[in-house]
Amino acid sequence: MSTQGLPSPVAAPPPSKGRGEGLLSAGRRFQGFLFVLPALLVLAIFLIYPAYYTIRLSFYEGDFKFNPVHWLGIDNFKNLLTNDPDFLDLSKFPPSGALINNLRWVVVYISLALIIGLALAVLAVRVRYERAVKAAIFVPMAISATAVGIIWLFVYSPNPDIGVLNAVVHAFDHGVQPIAWLGRPGLVNYALIFAYVWASTGFVMVVLSAAIKGIPTEIMEAARVDGAGEWNIFRRIMLPMLSLPLSVVTIWLFINVIKVFDIIYVMTGGGPGTSSRVIAFTMYEETFHNGRPGYGAAVAVIMLVLIAPVMVLNVRRFRSERVIA
Amino acid sequence: MKRRSWFIASALVLAVLVAGLSAAAVSAKPAKRSAGSIEVLSLWGGSEKDAFLKVTDAFTKATGIKVEYTSARDFIPEVRTRLAAGNPPDIGILPRPGFIGTLAQQNAIKPLSGLGLSNAYMQQNYSAGWLKLGSSGGKIYGVPAKANSKSVIWYKPDSFKKYKFKVPRTWNQLLALTKAYKKKGLVPWSVGAGPNQSQWTLTDWFENIYARTAGPVKYQQLFTGKLKFTDPSVAKACRIMTQIINNKYVLNGVQGVLGQSFVGGIGDVFGTSPKAQLYFEGGFVGGIALQQVNPGLVPGKTINSFRWPTINAKLDHPVVGAADFAAAFKDTPEVRQFLKYISTAAAGTIWTSTGAVISPNKKVPGTAYPNILARGEARQIASAKTFLFDGSDLLPGAFGDTWGFALQDVIQKPGNIPSILSTFQNKIAGQF
Repeated sequence: MSTQGLPSPVAAPPPSKGRGEGLLSAGRRFQGFLFVLPALLVLAIFLIYPAYYTIRLSFYEGDFKFNPVHWLGIDNFKNLLTNDPDFLDLSKFPPSGALINNLRWVVVYISLALIIGLALAVLAVRVRYERAVKAAIFVPMAISATAVGIIWLFVYSPNPDIGVLNAVVHAFDHGVQPIAWLGRPGLVNYALIFAYVWASTGFVMVVLSAAIKGIPTEIMEAARVDGAGEWNIFRRIMLPMLSLPLSVVTIWLFINVIKVFDIIYVMTGGGPGTSSRVIAFTMYEETFHNGRPGYGAAVAVIMLVLIAPVMVLNVRRFRSERVIA
Repeated sequence: MKRRSWFIASALVLAVLVAGLSAAAVSAKPAKRSAGSIEVLSLWGGSEKDAFLKVTDAFTKATGIKVEYTSARDFIPEVRTRLAAGNPPDIGILPRPGFIGTLAQQNAIKPLSGLGLSNAYMQQNYSAGWLKLGSSGGKIYGVPAKANSKSVIWYKPDSFKKYKFKVPRTWNQLLALTKAYKKKGLVPWSVGAGPNQSQWTLTDWFENIYARTAGPVKYQQLFTGKLKFTDPSVAKACRIMTQIINNKYVLNGVQGVLGQSFVGGIGDVFGTSPKAQLYFEGGFVGGIALQQVNPGLVPGKTINSFRWPTINAKLDHPVVGAADFAAAFKDTPEVRQFLKYISTAAAGTIWTSTGAVISPNKKVPGTAYPNILARGEARQIASAKTFLFDGSDLLPGAFGDTWGFALQDVIQKPGNIPSILSTFQNKIAGQF
């Protein structure tokens, strides 16, 4: 009697007995639901409801308490895409605006981070001081984006006594005027991108280098025995075997870059003028600075629309990989 | 066994629910501060903040009410977020009359007459001009806390002596001085209007020029929405601005202006290894230069200011200035006491004795100012025949910043001035 409640030491499931099977599984299902309920609640409160609210707000003009007050239909989106040169300006060539800047970030940031990260991962394995190299490259990952921004503000300072980059320029040519890396509309985006690449290459390198370590050495040795050169080994063995981690890292970078905000807020505030604004920055600016929550919500929805397909792709990819494994 | 896991599952759910609800209950009530304390939010940092803390210390000593000071340089988003969350500060110090109007329309701030500061009392301590700036819809909302003249240019008296330069009285003399410095192989100007929120210095350049070329009437019309930015007078003032802010006369050229911050620019002129000779910004530059940039400066000897020269002799020297206003988001006995206190001459005297601010309070004696820099500025404000409030701060919402961005474009592309101005006009149309 007293031992009745204790779990049996061998937790073998009771053999199913035809009768009551269905009943049990319905009960079990409900029990399972109870277990995931807390997680679902948290998701609903902090993710699903806010997302729903934002989408709804994007069709309204909001007041200062973020309540939707005037129904506007798709006017917010129309204005954003056709009538807001700070967000998208296709009237000149090259086109400009926050959306285009973000596109620039996607292309330049992702390719730089991937190329540098991959190169470091491949090369670091070959040297004796691998750990030291990796640690040095990884350190910026541990620094908050705000601190990264401040550090690079110093690096880019137009005063050659403070700015390392201008000190270097100055050392080569004393007569040359210091370059305001963050003051030129044509340069500012690339200066920001480079600072962010510096901060995230470490992550790319660590993930890829772990994946490289996971490639069975037999395959490489076999290739070498067969007379394959190092370039061929890299191109025909490593790259294909790294395709999954590469795609995961790319997606991570993509999501990161669509959301990028902190470093821009710290370093340029979207300036000079509006030339370094991106989507997330526009959302902040419109919502909290200009007090137009509805318009800001529309920007957020555009951001969501851009990120969602990539997320779906990512989840699908994970599923298919699991099936193969 | 089955019953047992049921029990665990439901206990877990219950626990999470209880935890969640209690967390919600806690966060629904904004964290209670100990009785007898208030929170004041402002954008002051550095020497301006230190000066204010001296005032709050005296207040705490006198009343026992603690003051929690929150600093937010980017104050508009901060105020808006906290309002939306239903957790505004007790008192906010707002530098923009335009924003006070916006908040008053939303009933987010309380009129002073309901807080024990009657209109008659306010009129005893402040002139009508100041009170009007802190008002909206006929009610006074803001206690004018501190004022600054923005019509002063900072120079180095010792360098003037060395080269036998004279303080310029007209724009042409200022241009001649600029050229003379250039001829000596020195960089005449530093302008910090660069990355992250220093574009407002350009708006001050513009305002001083505009007030002196178009006159106070047009100035008032322009910044209150009654005159378009496409008016030829605006383009003319922009062009005059680029007579100095161009690649020839400013440190590191126009790109350098856009790469330097407001405080960094002060350092370029008055720092320990100076690179330029003249700096323009408000009276607060003195406090920042002496306390933050280079404590070795000697007022009157290595740093001083002269008033903005005239451009059109008929229009004389209007003083462009700015002020910060204290407004109440909540009505509590502590808030009432605090507002009453900072509107007294005693508080004004403590404040001005730091040298960081000028008090708009009529009853603060001139002797309260600690050095000639502050005294000169106070005299300028007091004796101004025409006092014009900082125009960009009168623009609605955050358009003061947008106007600064437009001026950043102006100095980069002086050839595009008309199109830059018409773009800005399109944005601001209908916002007043």
